[in-house]
Amino acid sequence: MAQTVTEKILSRAMGRPVRTGEIIYPEPDLVTVHDWYVVNFDKALQELGVTRLYAPDKLLISTDHEPVAVSVLAAERQRQVRQIAAKYGLKHFYDTGRGGHGHVFPMELGYIKPGMFVLAYDVHANNYGALGCLAIPLVVEITDVLACGSVWLKVPETVRINLQGALRPGLTLRDVADRMIADVGADVADYTVMEFGGPALASVGIDGRVTLCNRPIEIGVKSTVFETDAVTLAYLEAHARPPFEVLRSDSGATFKATFDYDLGILEPQVAAPPTPDNVVPVSSVAGKKVDHAFIGSCANCSITDLRDAARILKGRKVSAGVRFVVTPGTQQIQARAAAEGLLAIFTDAGAMLTAPGCGPCAGGRTFPLAKGEVSINTGTRNDYGRLGTREAEIYLASPFTVAASAVAGRIVDPRELL
Amino acid sequence: MNFTYRGRCWKFGNDIGVDGDLMPLEFAMQRETRLEVLAPHTMKGVDPAFAARAQPGDIMVAGRRFAQGNPHIQGLLGIAALKLGLVVESIPRGSLRNAVNAGVPLLPSCPGVTAQVETGEELEVDFATGRLRNLTRGTQLSFAPLDKELRDIIAIGGWRPALERRIAAMGRRT
Repeated sequence: MAQTVTEKILSRAMGRPVRTGEIIYPEPDLVTVHDWYVVNFDKALQELGVTRLYAPDKLLISTDHEPVAVSVLAAERQRQVRQIAAKYGLKHFYDTGRGGHGHVFPMELGYIKPGMFVLAYDVHANNYGALGCLAIPLVVEITDVLACGSVWLKVPETVRINLQGALRPGLTLRDVADRMIADVGADVADYTVMEFGGPALASVGIDGRVTLCNRPIEIGVKSTVFETDAVTLAYLEAHARPPFEVLRSDSGATFKATFDYDLGILEPQVAAPPTPDNVVPVSSVAGKKVDHAFIGSCANCSITDLRDAARILKGRKVSAGVRFVVTPGTQQIQARAAAEGLLAIFTDAGAMLTAPGCGPCAGGRTFPLAKGEVSINTGTRNDYGRLGTREAEIYLASPFTVAASAVAGRIVDPRELL
Repeated sequence: MNFTYRGRCWKFGNDIGVDGDLMPLEFAMQRETRLEVLAPHTMKGVDPAFAARAQPGDIMVAGRRFAQGNPHIQGLLGIAALKLGLVVESIPRGSLRNAVNAGVPLLPSCPGVTAQVETGEELEVDFATGRLRNLTRGTQLSFAPLDKELRDIIAIGGWRPALERRIAAMGRRT
Protein backbone atom coordinates (compact mmCIF):
# COMPACT_ATOMS: atom_id res chain seq x y z
CA MET A 1 0.00 0.00 0.00
CA ALA A 2 1.29 3.49 -0.89
CA GLN A 3 2.66 5.31 2.16
CA THR A 4 3.72 8.80 3.16
CA VAL A 5 7.17 9.42 4.66
CA THR A 6 5.56 9.55 8.10
CA GLU A 7 3.69 6.27 7.64
CA LYS A 8 6.93 4.62 6.50
CA ILE A 9 8.85 5.85 9.55
CA LEU A 10 6.15 4.84 12.03
CA SER A 11 5.63 1.48 10.30
CA ARG A 12 9.32 0.71 10.68
CA ALA A 13 9.25 1.80 14.32
CA MET A 14 6.28 -0.54 14.94
CA GLY A 15 7.59 -3.40 12.80
CA ARG A 16 4.30 -3.56 10.90
CA PRO A 17 2.30 -1.30 8.59
CA VAL A 18 0.43 1.41 10.51
CA ARG A 19 -2.74 3.14 9.39
CA THR A 20 -3.69 6.79 9.80
CA GLY A 21 -5.66 7.51 12.97
CA GLU A 22 -4.46 4.39 14.77
CA ILE A 23 -3.10 4.67 18.35
CA ILE A 24 0.40 3.22 18.56
CA TYR A 25 3.27 3.02 21.06
CA PRO A 26 6.39 3.24 18.85
CA GLU A 27 9.82 3.19 20.51
CA PRO A 28 12.01 6.10 19.39
CA ASP A 29 15.56 5.83 18.06
CA LEU A 30 16.54 8.90 20.08
CA VAL A 31 15.04 10.95 22.92
CA THR A 32 16.09 14.56 23.52
CA VAL A 33 15.54 16.68 26.62
CA HIS A 34 16.90 20.16 27.34
CA ASP A 35 18.51 21.63 30.43
CA TRP A 36 15.30 23.12 31.83
CA TYR A 37 13.50 19.77 32.22
CA VAL A 38 16.15 17.32 33.44
CA VAL A 39 15.61 18.03 37.14
CA ASN A 40 11.83 17.75 36.58
CA PHE A 41 11.88 14.35 34.88
CA ASP A 42 14.29 13.03 37.49
CA LYS A 43 11.93 14.13 40.27
CA ALA A 44 8.96 12.53 38.48
CA LEU A 45 10.85 9.25 38.03
CA GLN A 46 11.84 9.22 41.69
CA GLU A 47 8.20 9.70 42.72
CA LEU A 48 7.20 6.85 40.41
CA GLY A 49 9.89 4.58 41.85
CA VAL A 50 11.82 4.25 38.59
CA THR A 51 15.58 4.28 39.20
CA ARG A 52 16.89 3.20 35.80
CA LEU A 53 15.92 4.64 32.43
CA TYR A 54 14.30 2.32 29.91
CA ALA A 55 16.99 3.15 27.34
CA PRO A 56 19.67 5.48 28.76
CA ASP A 57 21.84 5.16 25.66
CA LYS A 58 19.08 6.73 23.54
CA LEU A 59 18.78 9.87 25.67
CA LEU A 60 20.50 13.07 24.57
CA ILE A 61 20.60 16.05 26.95
CA SER A 62 21.38 19.51 25.60
CA THR A 63 22.28 22.65 27.52
CA ASP A 64 20.75 25.35 25.37
CA HIS A 65 18.02 27.16 27.28
CA GLU A 66 20.38 28.59 29.88
CA PRO A 67 23.97 27.73 28.94
CA VAL A 68 25.26 30.74 30.85
CA ALA A 69 23.94 30.54 34.39
CA VAL A 70 23.15 34.11 35.39
CA SER A 71 21.92 33.31 38.88
CA VAL A 72 22.90 31.04 41.76
CA LEU A 73 19.64 29.19 41.17
CA ALA A 74 20.64 28.46 37.57
CA ALA A 75 24.13 27.37 38.61
CA GLU A 76 22.53 25.02 41.14
CA ARG A 77 20.30 23.57 38.44
CA GLN A 78 23.32 22.98 36.19
CA ARG A 79 25.05 21.19 39.07
CA GLN A 80 22.01 18.95 39.53
CA VAL A 81 21.79 18.20 35.80
CA ARG A 82 25.42 17.01 35.82
CA GLN A 83 24.71 14.76 38.79
CA ILE A 84 21.59 13.35 37.15
CA ALA A 85 23.45 12.66 33.88
CA ALA A 86 26.08 10.75 35.87
CA LYS A 87 23.48 8.89 37.95
CA TYR A 88 21.70 7.49 34.89
CA GLY A 89 24.97 6.82 33.09
CA LEU A 90 24.14 9.02 30.10
CA LYS A 91 26.57 8.87 27.18
CA HIS A 92 25.03 11.76 25.28
CA PHE A 93 25.07 14.57 27.83
CA TYR A 94 26.10 17.90 26.27
CA ASP A 95 27.02 20.32 29.03
CA THR A 96 27.37 24.08 28.71
CA GLY A 97 30.02 24.88 26.10
CA ARG A 98 29.41 21.56 24.33
CA GLY A 99 27.17 21.07 21.34
CA GLY A 100 24.89 24.09 21.51
CA HIS A 101 21.25 24.17 20.48
CA GLY A 102 19.71 20.73 20.94
CA HIS A 103 17.45 21.20 17.93
CA VAL A 104 20.52 21.77 15.72
CA PHE A 105 23.80 20.22 16.90
CA PRO A 106 22.57 16.60 16.82
CA MET A 107 22.30 17.06 13.04
CA GLU A 108 25.87 18.41 12.83
CA LEU A 109 27.19 15.58 14.96
CA GLY A 110 25.61 12.82 12.91
CA TYR A 111 22.89 11.72 15.33
CA ILE A 112 20.07 12.44 12.88
CA LYS A 113 19.40 10.49 9.67
CA PRO A 114 16.46 9.97 7.29
CA GLY A 115 13.88 7.50 8.55
CA MET A 116 14.67 7.99 12.23
CA PHE A 117 11.94 8.46 14.80
CA VAL A 118 12.67 10.86 17.68
CA LEU A 119 10.63 11.88 20.72
CA ALA A 120 11.64 15.16 22.30
CA TYR A 121 10.91 17.37 25.25
CA ASP A 122 10.41 20.77 23.61
CA VAL A 123 8.30 21.87 20.73
CA HIS A 124 10.81 22.72 18.02
CA ALA A 125 12.62 19.37 17.80
CA ASN A 126 10.85 18.90 14.47
CA ASN A 127 13.85 20.82 13.07
CA TYR A 128 15.29 17.32 12.53
CA GLY A 129 12.74 16.90 9.76
CA ALA A 130 15.23 18.84 7.61
CA LEU A 131 17.14 15.52 7.34
CA GLY A 132 14.10 13.33 6.82
CA CYS A 133 13.74 12.34 10.47
CA LEU A 134 10.34 12.35 12.18
CA ALA A 135 10.70 14.12 15.53
CA ILE A 136 7.59 14.52 17.65
CA PRO A 137 7.49 16.90 20.59
CA LEU A 138 6.08 15.96 23.98
CA VAL A 139 6.05 17.79 27.25
CA VAL A 140 5.30 16.03 30.55
CA GLU A 141 4.85 12.67 28.81
CA ILE A 142 8.56 12.47 28.07
CA THR A 143 8.56 10.85 31.53
CA ASP A 144 6.54 7.92 30.10
CA VAL A 145 9.16 7.47 27.38
CA LEU A 146 12.06 7.56 29.83
CA ALA A 147 10.33 5.12 32.20
CA CYS A 148 8.58 2.75 29.77
CA GLY A 149 10.17 3.38 26.37
CA SER A 150 7.21 4.89 24.52
CA VAL A 151 3.99 6.86 24.77
CA TRP A 152 0.77 6.80 22.79
CA LEU A 153 0.68 8.52 19.44
CA LYS A 154 -2.09 8.77 16.92
CA VAL A 155 -0.72 8.10 13.43
CA PRO A 156 -1.15 11.53 11.83
CA GLU A 157 -2.36 12.56 8.42
CA THR A 158 0.11 14.38 6.17
CA VAL A 159 -0.21 17.79 4.52
CA ARG A 160 2.06 17.86 1.49
CA ILE A 161 3.85 21.06 0.45
CA ASN A 162 5.34 21.05 -3.06
CA LEU A 163 7.95 23.79 -3.16
CA GLN A 164 8.20 25.56 -6.48
CA GLY A 165 9.84 28.62 -8.02
CA ALA A 166 12.84 30.49 -6.66
CA LEU A 167 13.59 33.01 -3.92
CA ARG A 168 13.80 36.65 -4.97
CA PRO A 169 16.80 38.80 -3.94
CA GLY A 170 16.58 40.10 -0.38
CA LEU A 171 14.13 37.40 0.64
CA THR A 172 14.89 34.29 2.63
CA LEU A 173 13.25 31.01 3.54
CA ARG A 174 12.21 32.63 6.82
CA ASP A 175 10.00 35.00 4.83
CA VAL A 176 8.59 32.01 2.94
CA ALA A 177 8.07 29.94 6.09
CA ASP A 178 6.23 32.73 7.90
CA ARG A 179 4.05 33.53 4.87
CA MET A 180 3.34 29.83 4.39
CA ILE A 181 2.08 29.13 7.92
CA ALA A 182 -0.23 32.11 7.66
CA ASP A 183 -1.52 30.89 4.28
CA VAL A 184 -1.97 27.23 5.23
CA GLY A 185 -3.58 28.02 8.58
CA ALA A 186 -4.25 26.09 11.76
CA ASP A 187 -7.49 24.46 10.65
CA VAL A 188 -5.69 22.45 7.95
CA ALA A 189 -2.42 21.94 9.82
CA ASP A 190 -3.64 20.75 13.20
CA TYR A 191 -2.54 17.23 14.14
CA THR A 192 -0.85 16.62 10.77
CA VAL A 193 2.71 16.15 9.67
CA MET A 194 3.72 18.73 7.10
CA GLU A 195 5.86 17.07 4.44
CA PHE A 196 8.03 19.04 2.02
CA GLY A 197 9.04 18.05 -1.47
CA GLY A 198 8.60 19.39 -4.98
CA PRO A 199 10.62 20.72 -7.89
CA ALA A 200 12.34 23.55 -5.93
CA LEU A 201 13.71 21.17 -3.28
CA ALA A 202 17.19 21.09 -4.83
CA SER A 203 17.53 24.86 -4.34
CA VAL A 204 16.82 24.68 -0.61
CA GLY A 205 19.84 23.91 1.59
CA ILE A 206 19.70 22.15 4.95
CA ASP A 207 19.83 25.46 6.86
CA GLY A 208 16.76 26.69 4.99
CA ARG A 209 15.03 23.35 5.49
CA VAL A 210 15.51 23.76 9.23
CA THR A 211 13.72 27.10 9.11
CA LEU A 212 10.89 25.64 7.00
CA CYS A 213 10.55 22.73 9.44
CA ASN A 214 10.63 25.00 12.47
CA ARG A 215 7.79 27.42 11.76
CA PRO A 216 4.72 25.19 11.14
CA ILE A 217 4.67 24.01 14.78
CA GLU A 218 3.11 27.39 15.56
CA ILE A 219 -0.02 26.40 13.61
CA GLY A 220 -0.40 23.10 15.43
CA VAL A 221 1.36 20.50 13.30
CA LYS A 222 2.59 17.36 15.02
CA SER A 223 5.82 17.47 13.08
CA THR A 224 7.48 18.41 9.79
CA VAL A 225 9.62 16.35 7.47
CA PHE A 226 11.50 16.73 4.19
CA GLU A 227 11.85 14.08 1.54
CA THR A 228 15.41 12.79 1.12
CA ASP A 229 17.28 14.10 -1.93
CA ALA A 230 20.82 14.84 -3.12
CA VAL A 231 21.05 17.85 -0.77
CA THR A 232 20.25 15.62 2.21
CA LEU A 233 22.74 12.98 1.12
CA ALA A 234 25.52 15.53 0.59
CA TYR A 235 24.96 16.87 4.12
CA LEU A 236 24.92 13.37 5.58
CA GLU A 237 28.15 12.42 3.81
CA ALA A 238 29.84 15.30 5.62
CA HIS A 239 28.26 14.80 9.03
CA ALA A 240 27.07 11.24 9.65
CA ARG A 241 28.02 7.62 9.22
CA PRO A 242 26.35 5.58 6.47
CA PRO A 243 24.14 3.82 5.59
CA PHE A 244 21.61 6.48 4.66
CA GLU A 245 18.06 5.63 3.78
CA VAL A 246 16.34 7.57 0.98
CA LEU A 247 12.77 8.28 2.03
CA ARG A 248 10.06 9.73 -0.14
CA SER A 249 6.30 9.35 -0.14
CA ASP A 250 5.02 6.73 -2.57
CA SER A 251 3.07 7.90 -5.58
CA GLY A 252 -0.52 7.32 -4.63
CA ALA A 253 0.09 8.01 -0.92
CA THR A 254 -2.86 9.72 0.75
CA PHE A 255 -2.50 13.34 1.82
CA LYS A 256 -5.04 15.35 3.82
CA ALA A 257 -4.22 18.33 1.59
CA THR A 258 -1.61 19.27 -1.00
CA PHE A 259 -0.29 22.77 -1.59
CA ASP A 260 1.93 24.00 -4.40
CA TYR A 261 3.95 26.71 -2.69
CA ASP A 262 6.00 29.23 -4.66
CA LEU A 263 9.26 30.41 -3.06
CA GLY A 264 9.07 33.57 -5.17
CA ILE A 265 7.01 35.66 -2.76
CA LEU A 266 7.27 39.33 -3.55
CA GLU A 267 7.98 41.09 -0.27
CA PRO A 268 9.78 40.37 3.02
CA GLN A 269 7.36 39.25 5.73
CA VAL A 270 7.04 40.14 9.40
CA ALA A 271 5.06 38.30 12.09
CA ALA A 272 3.46 41.04 14.18
CA PRO A 273 2.24 40.56 17.76
CA PRO A 274 0.62 38.59 19.26
CA THR A 275 1.04 35.30 17.32
CA PRO A 276 3.64 33.93 14.88
CA ASP A 277 1.00 33.39 12.20
CA ASN A 278 -0.07 37.04 12.25
CA VAL A 279 2.14 37.63 9.22
CA VAL A 280 2.16 40.88 7.23
CA PRO A 281 4.36 42.39 4.49
CA VAL A 282 7.22 44.46 5.93
CA SER A 283 5.86 47.60 4.29
CA SER A 284 2.81 47.53 6.55
CA VAL A 285 4.92 47.83 9.72
CA ALA A 286 7.88 49.76 8.27
CA GLY A 287 8.97 52.77 10.30
CA LYS A 288 8.21 51.18 13.68
CA LYS A 289 11.01 52.24 16.05
CA VAL A 290 12.95 49.31 17.53
CA ASP A 291 14.97 49.03 20.77
CA HIS A 292 16.13 45.43 20.60
CA ALA A 293 17.15 43.06 17.83
CA PHE A 294 18.28 39.48 17.92
CA ILE A 295 19.60 36.93 15.41
CA GLY A 296 19.33 33.35 16.58
CA SER A 297 16.87 30.79 18.05
CA CYS A 298 16.23 27.30 16.71
CA ALA A 299 14.45 28.89 13.73
CA ASN A 300 17.41 30.91 12.39
CA CYS A 301 20.77 30.20 14.05
CA SER A 302 22.70 28.66 11.15
CA ILE A 303 25.82 29.80 9.36
CA THR A 304 23.57 30.86 6.47
CA ASP A 305 21.58 33.07 8.82
CA LEU A 306 24.74 34.63 10.28
CA ARG A 307 26.08 35.28 6.77
CA ASP A 308 22.82 37.01 5.86
CA ALA A 309 23.02 39.24 8.92
CA ALA A 310 26.71 39.98 8.29
CA ARG A 311 25.98 40.95 4.69
CA ILE A 312 23.78 43.77 6.00
CA LEU A 313 26.03 44.75 8.91
CA LYS A 314 29.38 44.81 7.10
CA GLY A 315 30.75 48.36 7.28
CA ARG A 316 27.66 49.61 9.11
CA LYS A 317 26.80 50.35 12.73
CA VAL A 318 23.81 49.30 14.76
CA SER A 319 21.67 52.38 15.40
CA ALA A 320 22.30 54.21 18.67
CA GLY A 321 19.80 53.06 21.26
CA VAL A 322 19.35 49.60 19.74
CA ARG A 323 20.86 46.61 21.53
CA PHE A 324 21.66 43.89 19.03
CA VAL A 325 22.35 40.32 20.07
CA VAL A 326 23.68 37.48 17.92
CA THR A 327 23.43 33.89 19.19
CA PRO A 328 25.10 31.29 16.92
CA GLY A 329 23.20 28.04 17.20
CA THR A 330 26.08 25.74 18.03
CA GLN A 331 29.74 25.65 18.98
CA GLN A 332 30.55 24.56 15.41
CA ILE A 333 28.54 27.39 13.85
CA GLN A 334 30.27 29.89 16.13
CA ALA A 335 33.70 28.53 15.17
CA ARG A 336 32.84 28.69 11.50
CA ALA A 337 31.47 32.24 11.83
CA ALA A 338 34.75 33.22 13.48
CA ALA A 339 36.78 31.60 10.69
CA GLU A 340 34.76 33.41 8.04
CA GLY A 341 35.22 36.78 9.78
CA LEU A 342 31.52 37.15 10.55
CA LEU A 343 32.04 37.60 14.29
CA ALA A 344 34.39 40.51 13.59
CA ILE A 345 31.72 42.12 11.41
CA PHE A 346 29.17 41.79 14.22
CA THR A 347 31.59 43.15 16.78
CA ASP A 348 32.55 46.13 14.61
CA ALA A 349 28.87 46.91 14.06
CA GLY A 350 28.26 47.09 17.81
CA ALA A 351 26.51 43.74 18.25
CA MET A 352 26.87 41.46 21.28
CA LEU A 353 27.51 37.73 21.01
CA THR A 354 26.06 35.21 23.40
CA ALA A 355 26.86 31.57 24.08
CA PRO A 356 25.46 29.10 21.51
CA GLY A 357 21.95 27.90 22.31
CA CYS A 358 18.50 29.49 22.35
CA GLY A 359 19.69 33.01 23.21
CA PRO A 360 17.04 35.48 24.42
CA CYS A 361 14.26 33.44 22.77
CA ALA A 362 14.21 31.07 25.78
CA GLY A 363 11.75 33.26 27.64
CA GLY A 364 13.90 36.37 27.76
CA ARG A 365 16.03 35.11 30.63
CA THR A 366 18.86 37.01 28.97
CA PHE A 367 18.47 40.37 27.19
CA PRO A 368 14.80 40.87 28.18
CA LEU A 369 12.62 43.75 27.06
CA ALA A 370 11.59 46.66 29.28
CA LYS A 371 8.17 48.30 29.37
CA GLY A 372 7.18 49.93 26.12
CA GLU A 373 10.09 48.51 24.13
CA VAL A 374 9.97 46.92 20.69
CA SER A 375 12.05 43.96 19.51
CA ILE A 376 12.55 42.63 16.03
CA ASN A 377 14.16 39.21 15.99
CA THR A 378 14.40 35.83 14.30
CA GLY A 379 12.92 33.97 17.30
CA THR A 380 10.08 31.51 17.37
CA ARG A 381 7.32 33.26 19.29
CA ASN A 382 6.00 36.79 19.65
CA ASP A 383 3.41 36.31 22.41
CA TYR A 384 3.21 39.22 24.82
CA GLY A 385 5.63 38.43 27.64
CA ARG A 386 7.84 36.07 25.64
CA LEU A 387 10.90 38.28 26.17
CA GLY A 388 10.26 39.70 29.61
CA THR A 389 7.51 42.21 30.28
CA ARG A 390 4.11 41.76 28.68
CA GLU A 391 4.15 45.49 27.97
CA ALA A 392 6.51 45.16 25.01
CA GLU A 393 6.08 44.26 21.35
CA ILE A 394 7.87 41.51 19.45
CA TYR A 395 8.13 41.32 15.65
CA LEU A 396 9.58 38.24 13.97
CA ALA A 397 11.40 38.45 10.64
CA SER A 398 14.29 37.18 8.52
CA PRO A 399 17.96 37.78 9.40
CA PHE A 400 18.11 40.38 6.58
CA THR A 401 15.13 42.30 7.93
CA VAL A 402 16.28 42.07 11.56
CA ALA A 403 19.81 43.25 10.80
CA ALA A 404 18.62 46.04 8.52
CA SER A 405 16.11 47.23 11.12
CA ALA A 406 18.82 47.23 13.80
CA VAL A 407 20.95 49.46 11.58
CA ALA A 408 18.06 51.78 10.74
CA GLY A 409 16.66 51.87 14.29
CA ARG A 410 13.23 51.16 12.84
CA ILE A 411 11.64 48.35 10.89
CA VAL A 412 12.77 48.57 7.26
CA ASP A 413 12.66 46.57 4.07
CA PRO A 414 16.20 45.08 3.97
CA ARG A 415 16.38 45.45 0.21
CA GLU A 416 17.12 49.15 0.88
CA LEU A 417 20.48 48.06 2.36
CA LEU A 418 21.45 45.20 0.04
CA MET B 1 -15.87 3.64 34.98
CA ASN B 2 -19.31 4.77 33.87
CA PHE B 3 -18.80 6.45 30.51
CA THR B 4 -22.38 7.63 30.17
CA TYR B 5 -22.96 11.14 31.45
CA ARG B 6 -26.43 12.59 31.88
CA GLY B 7 -26.80 16.24 32.75
CA ARG B 8 -27.34 19.77 31.56
CA CYS B 9 -25.74 21.14 28.43
CA TRP B 10 -23.41 24.13 28.67
CA LYS B 11 -22.80 25.42 25.17
CA PHE B 12 -19.80 27.51 24.09
CA GLY B 13 -18.65 28.90 20.74
CA ASN B 14 -15.51 28.48 18.62
CA ASP B 15 -11.89 29.19 19.60
CA ILE B 16 -12.21 29.02 23.39
CA GLY B 17 -8.64 29.76 24.52
CA VAL B 18 -6.66 27.67 27.00
CA ASP B 19 -5.22 30.74 28.69
CA GLY B 20 -7.63 33.42 29.78
CA ASP B 21 -10.89 31.81 28.63
CA LEU B 22 -10.63 28.33 30.08
CA MET B 23 -8.35 29.16 33.01
CA PRO B 24 -6.46 32.29 34.13
CA LEU B 25 -2.89 32.13 32.78
CA GLU B 26 -1.38 32.67 36.24
CA PHE B 27 -2.17 29.06 37.23
CA ALA B 28 -0.21 27.75 34.25
CA MET B 29 2.72 30.00 35.07
CA GLN B 30 2.68 28.63 38.64
CA ARG B 31 2.41 25.02 37.33
CA GLU B 32 -0.63 24.66 39.62
CA THR B 33 -2.15 21.19 39.39
CA ARG B 34 -4.26 20.90 42.58
CA LEU B 35 -7.80 20.19 41.44
CA GLU B 36 -9.45 21.97 44.36
CA VAL B 37 -7.53 25.14 43.54
CA LEU B 38 -8.29 25.06 39.82
CA ALA B 39 -11.95 23.96 39.87
CA PRO B 40 -13.54 27.30 40.91
CA HIS B 41 -11.74 29.15 38.09
CA THR B 42 -12.83 26.90 35.22
CA MET B 43 -14.15 28.90 32.23
CA LYS B 44 -13.82 32.07 34.32
CA GLY B 45 -12.83 34.16 31.30
CA VAL B 46 -16.04 33.25 29.45
CA ASP B 47 -18.59 32.82 32.27
CA PRO B 48 -17.41 33.65 35.80
CA ALA B 49 -20.49 31.91 37.28
CA PHE B 50 -19.94 28.66 35.36
CA ALA B 51 -17.82 26.77 37.87
CA ALA B 52 -20.29 27.42 40.69
CA ARG B 53 -23.33 26.42 38.64
CA ALA B 54 -22.09 23.38 36.72
CA GLN B 55 -22.94 20.05 38.37
CA PRO B 56 -21.04 16.77 38.14
CA GLY B 57 -22.26 14.90 35.07
CA ASP B 58 -23.09 18.07 33.15
CA ILE B 59 -21.76 18.27 29.61
CA MET B 60 -19.82 21.09 28.00
CA VAL B 61 -20.45 21.35 24.27
CA ALA B 62 -18.10 23.64 22.34
CA GLY B 63 -17.35 24.62 18.77
CA ARG B 64 -14.17 24.42 16.73
CA ARG B 65 -10.65 24.56 18.19
CA PHE B 66 -11.73 24.22 21.80
CA ALA B 67 -8.80 24.93 24.15
CA GLN B 68 -6.66 26.48 21.43
CA GLY B 69 -3.37 28.17 22.32
CA ASN B 70 -0.30 27.13 24.28
CA PRO B 71 -1.27 23.67 25.56
CA HIS B 72 -1.34 24.23 29.33
CA ILE B 73 -3.19 21.50 31.19
CA GLN B 74 -4.70 23.61 34.00
CA GLY B 75 -8.01 24.36 32.24
CA LEU B 76 -8.58 20.68 31.43
CA LEU B 77 -7.78 19.79 35.04
CA GLY B 78 -10.48 22.28 36.06
CA ILE B 79 -13.01 20.47 33.87
CA ALA B 80 -11.91 17.14 35.35
CA ALA B 81 -12.26 18.54 38.86
CA LEU B 82 -15.87 19.59 38.14
CA LYS B 83 -16.52 16.05 36.80
CA LEU B 84 -17.89 17.33 33.49
CA GLY B 85 -18.03 15.61 30.12
CA LEU B 86 -16.74 17.38 27.03
CA VAL B 87 -18.14 17.33 23.49
CA VAL B 88 -16.35 19.51 20.92
CA GLU B 89 -16.45 20.12 17.19
CA SER B 90 -12.63 20.03 17.21
CA ILE B 91 -9.71 20.31 19.64
CA PRO B 92 -6.02 20.98 18.85
CA ARG B 93 -3.50 18.19 19.37
CA GLY B 94 -1.88 19.55 22.55
CA SER B 95 -5.20 20.08 24.28
CA LEU B 96 -6.50 16.63 23.25
CA ARG B 97 -3.47 15.10 24.99
CA ASN B 98 -4.10 17.32 28.01
CA ALA B 99 -7.78 16.32 28.16
CA VAL B 100 -6.81 12.63 28.16
CA ASN B 101 -4.04 13.27 30.69
CA ALA B 102 -6.43 15.20 32.92
CA GLY B 103 -8.94 12.33 32.74
CA VAL B 104 -11.76 14.25 31.02
CA PRO B 105 -14.21 12.04 29.07
CA LEU B 106 -14.59 13.63 25.65
CA LEU B 107 -15.84 13.30 22.12
CA PRO B 108 -13.11 15.15 20.18
CA SER B 109 -14.59 15.44 16.72
CA CYS B 110 -18.30 16.32 16.50
CA PRO B 111 -18.76 18.61 13.49
CA GLY B 112 -21.98 20.63 13.69
CA VAL B 113 -22.90 19.51 17.19
CA THR B 114 -23.31 23.06 18.50
CA ALA B 115 -26.26 23.56 16.13
CA GLN B 116 -28.08 20.60 17.72
CA VAL B 117 -27.99 21.55 21.41
CA GLU B 118 -28.59 24.59 23.61
CA THR B 119 -27.47 25.51 27.09
CA GLY B 120 -29.86 24.11 29.67
CA GLU B 121 -31.09 21.17 27.59
CA GLU B 122 -30.84 17.70 29.11
CA LEU B 123 -28.20 15.57 27.36
CA GLU B 124 -27.04 12.01 27.69
CA VAL B 125 -23.65 11.17 26.20
CA ASP B 126 -22.11 7.72 26.02
CA PHE B 127 -18.40 8.46 25.64
CA ALA B 128 -17.61 4.82 24.87
CA THR B 129 -19.87 4.65 21.81
CA GLY B 130 -20.12 8.30 20.75
CA ARG B 131 -23.91 8.43 21.07
CA LEU B 132 -25.33 11.80 22.13
CA ARG B 133 -29.03 12.01 23.05
CA ASN B 134 -30.72 15.35 23.44
CA LEU B 135 -33.43 14.34 25.91
CA THR B 136 -35.10 17.75 25.79
CA ARG B 137 -35.59 17.56 22.01
CA GLY B 138 -35.88 13.80 21.75
CA THR B 139 -33.09 13.67 19.15
CA GLN B 140 -30.03 11.45 18.86
CA LEU B 141 -26.64 12.02 17.22
CA SER B 142 -23.72 9.71 16.66
CA PHE B 143 -20.03 10.61 16.56
CA ALA B 144 -16.75 8.71 16.55
CA PRO B 145 -15.75 7.88 20.13
CA LEU B 146 -12.26 8.37 21.43
CA ASP B 147 -9.97 5.38 20.83
CA LYS B 148 -10.22 2.61 23.41
CA GLU B 149 -6.58 3.05 24.47
CA LEU B 150 -7.25 6.68 25.35
CA ARG B 151 -10.56 5.89 27.07
CA ASP B 152 -8.63 3.48 29.26
CA ILE B 153 -6.28 6.29 30.34
CA ILE B 154 -9.27 8.51 31.13
CA ALA B 155 -11.05 5.70 32.97
CA ILE B 156 -8.19 5.16 35.39
CA GLY B 157 -7.98 8.89 36.12
CA GLY B 158 -5.55 10.33 33.59
CA TRP B 159 -1.81 10.56 33.08
CA ARG B 160 -0.35 9.83 36.50
CA PRO B 161 -2.43 6.74 37.44
CA ALA B 162 -2.15 5.40 33.88
CA LEU B 163 1.65 5.73 33.97
CA GLU B 164 1.80 4.15 37.43
CA ARG B 165 -0.23 1.20 36.14
CA ARG B 166 2.04 0.84 33.11
CA ILE B 167 5.21 1.02 35.20
CA ALA B 168 3.83 -1.69 37.48
CA ALA B 169 2.77 -3.88 34.54
CA MET B 170 6.22 -3.59 32.97
CA GLY B 171 8.04 -4.18 36.24
CA ARG B 172 9.84 -0.87 35.87
CA ARG B 173 9.66 -0.04 39.59
CA THR B 174 13.03 -0.98 40.98
